[in-house]
Amino acid sequence: MDLENTKAQMRKGILEYCILSVLSRSSCYASDIIRELKEAKVIVVEGTLYPLLTRQKNAGLLSYRWEESQQGPPRKYYELTQAGKEYLSDLDKSWNELVESVNLIRTR
Amino acid sequence: MKITLSINLGGWSFNIDEDAYAELKRYLKNLEIHFAAEESSAEILSDIETRMAEILRSRLTTYKQVITMDDVRHVISVLGTPEDLSGENTSTGDKFASRGYHRMYRDPDHRIIGGVCAGIGAYWRIEPWIVRIIFLILGVMGGVGLLVYLILYIVLPEAKTTAQKIEMKGEPVNIHNITEAVKNEFDNVRKNMNL
Repeated sequence: MDLENTKAQMRKGILEYCILSVLSRSSCYASDIIRELKEAKVIVVEGTLYPLLTRQKNAGLLSYRWEESQQGPPRKYYELTQAGKEYLSDLDKSWNELVESVNLIRTR
Repeated sequence: MKITLSINLGGWSFNIDEDAYAELKRYLKNLEIHFAAEESSAEILSDIETRMAEILRSRLTTYKQVITMDDVRHVISVLGTPEDLSGENTSTGDKFASRGYHRMYRDPDHRIIGGVCAGIGAYWRIEPWIVRIIFLILGVMGGVGLLVYLILYIVLPEAKTTAQKIEMKGEPVNIHNITEAVKNEFDNVRKNMNL
């Protein structure tokens, strides 16, 4: 069995959850989300983020507005929608249940 | 001394070495192929370009004003190659990477007359000459073989593109397989020309 592959599978599932979590604390730019996810070691390469961000936006969980910047073109500023907040709260519950289940099995 | 080009990446202007430009262009093309099946691929690519520009800007200083090959390689390692992204992509990502359509084509590379037998052989992964013998036997036994061959010749499309040739064998069409196939073709040409 490939250890790296198993680890990647584990990370895959939680990445969407983590994106919503980061945005629930405060609205921000994509680069801010990347920085937090990298610090928490949830993503290894940044490219993974972008298709997910777009999918979540298309699903109505996030929205963005264009923010002018002092130099250069405007940037996307992301925030959770109401639907996104509810979705996140469901995921929070689901995560807690998952942690409980795994701990039960590990500590039996 | 090198030639530089002036590019617009994500709305930002950069001077970039000629060889670095070629590498960057290749990387962007690979990403485009990788995300081709996604619904909002244009938007994803645009966001990625913006991020690339951010990363590259951070590498420029008063003393360093030109993007070099090192910078481009850095960007690629930070953002990820299509292989890296296929590994980490969630749910629907995997579907695109390993679709593996299996279609019957005429194989123009291994044909004697029309590539019908070669194509059938590729689809079922048996040697073409086995298929040809079967056709000959059918042909001898009353002409059915010839009719079937003609019908198949008309109905089966020719596998022209690399992607089609990969589909003919039933392997998934992704960057890795396409690159492998092109490399093999180059090697064959080189061998035939004794280079």
